[in-house]
Amino acid sequence: MAEAIYDALGPALTRWTMGGAAAPVAPPAWAAHLGEDAGEAELRLLALSGQFLGVLVTPAPPEGLQPLPDVPALAMPALPETQRPLARRILRTVRDTGSRRDLLRFLAARGWTLHPGDWMPAASEEDVPDVYAPWRDWAEGSAIARPATGEQLTEQNWDDYWPAARNVALTALRRRDPAAAMALLAAKLGGESAEVRLRLVGLLATRLSDADRPFLESLAADRAPKVKALAAALLARLGHGSAVGEEAAELAGFFELQTKGLIRRTRVVAARQMKTPAQRSRRQALFEAVDLAGFARALDGTPEELIALWPWGEDRQADQALAGMAERSGSDALVAALHDLLLGLGTVDVPAMLTLAPRLDSAQRRAFALRVLRAGGGTFQMALAMTGGESLVDGAIDTIAGTALLGALKAEDAAKRADLTAELHALGLIASRGAAQASLERLASAGLLAADPRLDMLRLNAALEDGGNR
Amino acid sequence: MAIDLQAIERLATDQPSLKAAAGLAKPAKWSGIGASHDEALIWGECAGSGANPYRVMADLRDLGNKCTCPSRKFPCKHVLALLWLKAEAIVPFGAADTPDWVSDWLGRRRTGATAARPVTPGAPVAAKDVRAALEAEPEAPEDPKAAARREAASAKRAEDTERAILEALDALEQWIGDQLRLGLGAFVDNATARCRRIGARLVDGKAAMLAGRVDELPARLLALPSGDRARGAVIELGKLVLLARAFRAAPRDADIRRAVASAESREAVLGDPAALRLTATWEVLAEQVQTRRDGLVSQTTWLLNLGATGPRFAMLLDFFPASAGKRGSVFTPGEQFSGELIFYPGRMPLRALLLSRAQAETPAPDWPVPEAALPGMLSAPLRAEPWTIDVPVLLPGGRVAVDGTGRAWWRAAEGGMVLPVAGAAEGLIRGTDLTRAAAIWSGGRLDILAALTPWGRIGAHG
Repeated sequence: MAEAIYDALGPALTRWTMGGAAAPVAPPAWAAHLGEDAGEAELRLLALSGQFLGVLVTPAPPEGLQPLPDVPALAMPALPETQRPLARRILRTVRDTGSRRDLLRFLAARGWTLHPGDWMPAASEEDVPDVYAPWRDWAEGSAIARPATGEQLTEQNWDDYWPAARNVALTALRRRDPAAAMALLAAKLGGESAEVRLRLVGLLATRLSDADRPFLESLAADRAPKVKALAAALLARLGHGSAVGEEAAELAGFFELQTKGLIRRTRVVAARQMKTPAQRSRRQALFEAVDLAGFARALDGTPEELIALWPWGEDRQADQALAGMAERSGSDALVAALHDLLLGLGTVDVPAMLTLAPRLDSAQRRAFALRVLRAGGGTFQMALAMTGGESLVDGAIDTIAGTALLGALKAEDAAKRADLTAELHALGLIASRGAAQASLERLASAGLLAADPRLDMLRLNAALEDGGNR
Repeated sequence: MAIDLQAIERLATDQPSLKAAAGLAKPAKWSGIGASHDEALIWGECAGSGANPYRVMADLRDLGNKCTCPSRKFPCKHVLALLWLKAEAIVPFGAADTPDWVSDWLGRRRTGATAARPVTPGAPVAAKDVRAALEAEPEAPEDPKAAARREAASAKRAEDTERAILEALDALEQWIGDQLRLGLGAFVDNATARCRRIGARLVDGKAAMLAGRVDELPARLLALPSGDRARGAVIELGKLVLLARAFRAAPRDADIRRAVASAESREAVLGDPAALRLTATWEVLAEQVQTRRDGLVSQTTWLLNLGATGPRFAMLLDFFPASAGKRGSVFTPGEQFSGELIFYPGRMPLRALLLSRAQAETPAPDWPVPEAALPGMLSAPLRAEPWTIDVPVLLPGGRVAVDGTGRAWWRAAEGGMVLPVAGAAEGLIRGTDLTRAAAIWSGGRLDILAALTPWGRIGAHG
């Protein structure tokens, strides 16, 4: 009966859609109930049709409905249920991807991930800890199930891996067997897009050695300028940068070697006075184009001599630019030496060290973060910028930065409110669990209520056990 | 931290505020009373005229305070009453973890911005007296003639209102007939302008709820795939005809009147012996906040009855002006509580008022198993009240699947039933089994509110 009515309704619906009376073509089962008046008949038919369609008819699903694969479990457990409300509240306040990345790194460092009901990365979201790679791949290919593979990455199973999982596997392979990873890249790189090639070549920075030189030199023929530039920078790290070119000579022209001191004569590199903004701009552009070895040779020295003779602290912009040059094209040993040099300076050069940070390991970043916290003018936000949430600092509130924070809280006014919110959040991200607990006690003594939402990150930190992967 | 009645007296803006606060400073009016562990913050929920209680909070360090009621007095009577409860220790303020809504307020307030305003020296002080506020006012003797006049005027107003509504419904049916003659294809393309005109007529005819429904009709149509909109228009307009006819047949029926004109007042519901009262364990499924075309914001909270008796769902519905600004959420999705609700009388009770709530029992009860077959659960409310738009439903085990165009469908684990899902259903909800799901069936689509999964309970709305 319902089928017959449904079929018979078709003409009525067509008439109404186009405009016109549908009662004359009403389903026979209803015709007797529509009445004599034409207007009334239309309304009765409408009421019956609406009820029929709304109650007895549901849209038919198309053929080929595909259930999607399960969201995979990650290598680390999701936050305990008791911590999820606090984590959700923090997520609502960390709107930018950088702040969220810090939170994710903090949780991963403690052995936890966010619950997939609270947050999942997009497929394209690269700046998330590797532990989330399976979720990125699920988001990418959620319509198609691929068999999970735990095998070592090879040429044969390269295409069996989802992109994010493949990056993680390749990174692990590079750490374990650099030659095998390089051989794999050499075989498969040509079949990837420029963006992917750039990312994959970047992985060679891990355990870079002279064995990578032939492959890197072959990338001079890559069709993507960024891939070529990255390969050149990696070669420069190995000491095989380009000969002193015009640009290196031009950059050297902005500096000169001087001898300073009356009794102990020491050589230093001194910056020549720049007269115009155009000169300053040109110098900066040269810093970004020239490699460290080329610049040092143009000044008749080695990279090690250059950083030792450099007048650190006299020209902050030049300091940061040189650090950027070292980060891009300096050898691992030189970067380590520069880190030690910056760490030992009388004043803390945060921008220069931040520029160098991508080449530093977590112990080196942590050491500098502590230096910052113990120096006047250092803040927890600066320390967080160095560690990115991955290093956990004991005794954070007892540092000079902690004392400054406690003092600022006591003198709080509305204008400084936003600064303190960010500073408290940063403290929550870099403190160890014990340090977080101690910080909460000291902050309560300074007058902050335990319920103050600015303490959310500290509370989460203090409440979080070390996770299941430890 | 201590507070005394003199401080409350100073804080109050005038004597009527104190008087009103005295009336509210009674345990029966309050639920969820608590204090922070450091005793600096106190909070509670006070029954107001809406479905949801007002949330009231104060910082005893500086008497800063906040209430979610729409009063323009600062502090309002609810704040004064909360402080009164504390000052006189009328109820215990047990130490508890500070609720999110208090922390949120704490985070937003600038020190001093919501603190007690000091009295300006030299300014005339309005006479405020806490003792006087406590005295019951003598009742004026009833004048029988005045009472009779009031009743007659009230009856006349009711008659006039009913006549106005009936005339408005005539205009509505005329308008519907016009849409059929002009063509539903054109109606869908111009729905906003056409519905606004008839909506204004309905407002003039005192059919306010029906006007709001017509105002939102274009949005409901546009939420459908374009190929389904003409069919959707038949369903929506057909429901309007049914509702109009139902009102003509039974203009005093509370259910129908609520759908056409206005809901009963809180007092009327509380005083109605036919109103179902139910004490049960409830879980908050979701809260939906919608800004309407008429300048009101509707705040709908869906509750799931975890017990064995009574309606499976309850809906708390409040309206407030958009100009009042953003209101904080009253409940947290997933929250469970033991509470007494009173349902507006009806054939299928759903809309309710929250009378009281307390901590839920532990361990928390599981979601119940759906009592009836799914097709019946979807159609029964629509047979009882054919003009219904939203039907809450508890789904058995199933899973979201996608078609070739990426549209999401819910598929039952057993029985093969497949229903379209509203929206994209992104994230975890499309990548896991849904052991149970609570959804709203509306416009031929499922709007999933929450679900139980191997990952635990998840909300579909973030």
